[in-house]
Amino acid sequence: MKKNRLCSTALVVIFVMTFVMILGFALTGCEAKNEIKVAVAGPFTGSIAAFGEMIKRGAELKAKEINAAGGVNGKTLTLVFEDDTGKDKEASLVAERIASNRQILAVVGHFNSNCSLAGKPIYQRAGIVELSPGSTNVNVAAGSEWTFRNIYRDDFQAAFAAKYIKNVLGDIQKVAIFFDNDDYGRGLKDSFAAEAKELGLEIVGMEAYDRDNTDFKAQLTSIKAKQPDLIFLSGLYSQAGLIVSQAREAGIPAQLFGADGVDSPDFLTIAGDAAEGTYVTTPFVFRLDDPKAQKMAIAFEEMHGVAPDTWAALTYDAVDMIVEAIEKGGENRKAIRDHLASINSPEKGYDGITGLTYFDENGDCTKPAYVKIVKDGQFVPAAEQMLGME
Amino acid sequence: MAQFLEQIINGLVLGGIYALIAVGYTMVYGIIQLINFAHGEIFMFGAYFAFVCVTTFGMSFWVALPVSMGMCALMGMLIDFVAYRPLRNAPRLSALITAIGMSLMLQNLARLIWGARWRKFPAEATPTVLTGNTIPLPGGAQVSFLDVFIILLAVSLMIGLNRLIHLTKIGKAMRACAQNRAAASLMGIDTNRVITVTFAIGSALGAVAGVMVGLREVTEPAMGYYKGVAAFAAAVLGGIGNITGAMLGGVVLGVAEALGAGYISSEYRLAIAYIIMILVIIFRPSGLLGKSTATRA
Repeated sequence: MKKNRLCSTALVVIFVMTFVMILGFALTGCEAKNEIKVAVAGPFTGSIAAFGEMIKRGAELKAKEINAAGGVNGKTLTLVFEDDTGKDKEASLVAERIASNRQILAVVGHFNSNCSLAGKPIYQRAGIVELSPGSTNVNVAAGSEWTFRNIYRDDFQAAFAAKYIKNVLGDIQKVAIFFDNDDYGRGLKDSFAAEAKELGLEIVGMEAYDRDNTDFKAQLTSIKAKQPDLIFLSGLYSQAGLIVSQAREAGIPAQLFGADGVDSPDFLTIAGDAAEGTYVTTPFVFRLDDPKAQKMAIAFEEMHGVAPDTWAALTYDAVDMIVEAIEKGGENRKAIRDHLASINSPEKGYDGITGLTYFDENGDCTKPAYVKIVKDGQFVPAAEQMLGME
Repeated sequence: MAQFLEQIINGLVLGGIYALIAVGYTMVYGIIQLINFAHGEIFMFGAYFAFVCVTTFGMSFWVALPVSMGMCALMGMLIDFVAYRPLRNAPRLSALITAIGMSLMLQNLARLIWGARWRKFPAEATPTVLTGNTIPLPGGAQVSFLDVFIILLAVSLMIGLNRLIHLTKIGKAMRACAQNRAAASLMGIDTNRVITVTFAIGSALGAVAGVMVGLREVTEPAMGYYKGVAAFAAAVLGGIGNITGAMLGGVVLGVAEALGAGYISSEYRLAIAYIIMILVIIFRPSGLLGKSTATRA
């Protein structure tokens, strides 16, 4: 009798479980039919959240446009935003979460070089594409056939910056470097120092800082004693903003020159008046004579109420590249990778708003760099550019 | 020489800020043997309160500073009332875990209210007396008014606190509570009131440090964690529970950080400061000015 009851209870349990599972499968099946999921990973909170904000907005605009035009193969494009806070520890957790979600077909991100590097082995193991719109460290894409980026590498950017300083700015002899002690800041500093020496510039000092720090007076005092003509900022906009304002407070008259990590509208609010006259190198500028970029800028302002920045534009393109790979390659992780890998010559290149993107065997790409200057509290393209330097 | 002088001043400013925060840790520890991890967050809220007063309500900086101190004093008392008082007779570990929870909650609350972005005091709201002027020093060095102001403010507040502890009735009650809370209570001292006042004073001093960091550096939700940990280390270095020790610890740590960054390696700026702290703790386990006998730990 007792045994019988146990049997019937077990039967009911099995029955209910089977029912739930069938229902579950049916539901996910429905979802998979009508939806294409792509992850966007970046620093949406933390000390460099302004980057994340623009990345998110750029991706949202692209998704809106794609869905308004009928979606991807007739399905809705859904973006899954994952916050890595710009820290590698957090990025590897995010990468594990994305990789284990089979519904997600590809990743746009990560933004920071240290985060892309942390995610790389995880995405490689899981076999999912990582397309970074912002990581410039030399080692980000090499060594994994699943990692790509639609931005130049730091060795190119550093050489470009050093040449610009030497050839365009003129009468700069002594250069000091202030670098963020992470993969981006250190890698860029090394490349820059090597190139600057080659060009005959004298490196008079190199000072490091940690991302968490907000007081740079001690390092600036050391730099001040060496009387550099120019300080190269190898780091991100928030710390760079403080460094610039504290440098002026400390009475350092040197020209300030940042790399693309400084290229964010928030640099201007943090640095205030001290930002005036600062140069930055950047992978993209919105030019008035570029109809595609202008169209995107207008749509962006309409949707979000602010002007887009460089990172919104690069993310906008990156999302589109993934969508194109899904449409032309197929709706699985491997097909997306194969399609991206096949974009390996200028003829096959993807022509987005940030220029032509095509990958070499590492997944790196060759794109031009530009120079911006802060004028009247705004980033504007510098009068003199140095294009055609590859 | 000029560089050395400037580095010492950099260190003293940092030290003054650490000291202002560290006394908050040490005063509370002295009386209820609790490491109030939420103190770093009170410091952070101090910076935000002043920021809001200046930007949203258009107050002058000189009004915003005392308002922020008052708000933080209230906040410190409130935290004690809701989080620590119910656990006064519970095992100390419970209160410690509550403090950590409080710290996390407040940090995320700030992130929720003001966002994760870094906020800089608007240029028009910063008093130009402080930020616009520099004082030339011998040898071509110079120091900004703000830095001198921070050092002077920290020193005068520390002297004021010292006088308060030694000359007033409530100061005497605080010292009595620090020696033996049960006995003090038996002598007719309202210990809960003393604890409340301790939280209020510590929090108000933390707010001063917060406003100064907001003015000199930046205001952001994680600032309480980074500066809080350093200030806690300063309190330990000076001998936790000892107010003069906390002041001394803050200055030693700040100067070590500045000189370490300036002359040894900026990559190991904090590491150098902490190595000095560890060395001191190895040879004097109870800190620079701590009692050599074991406390009631």
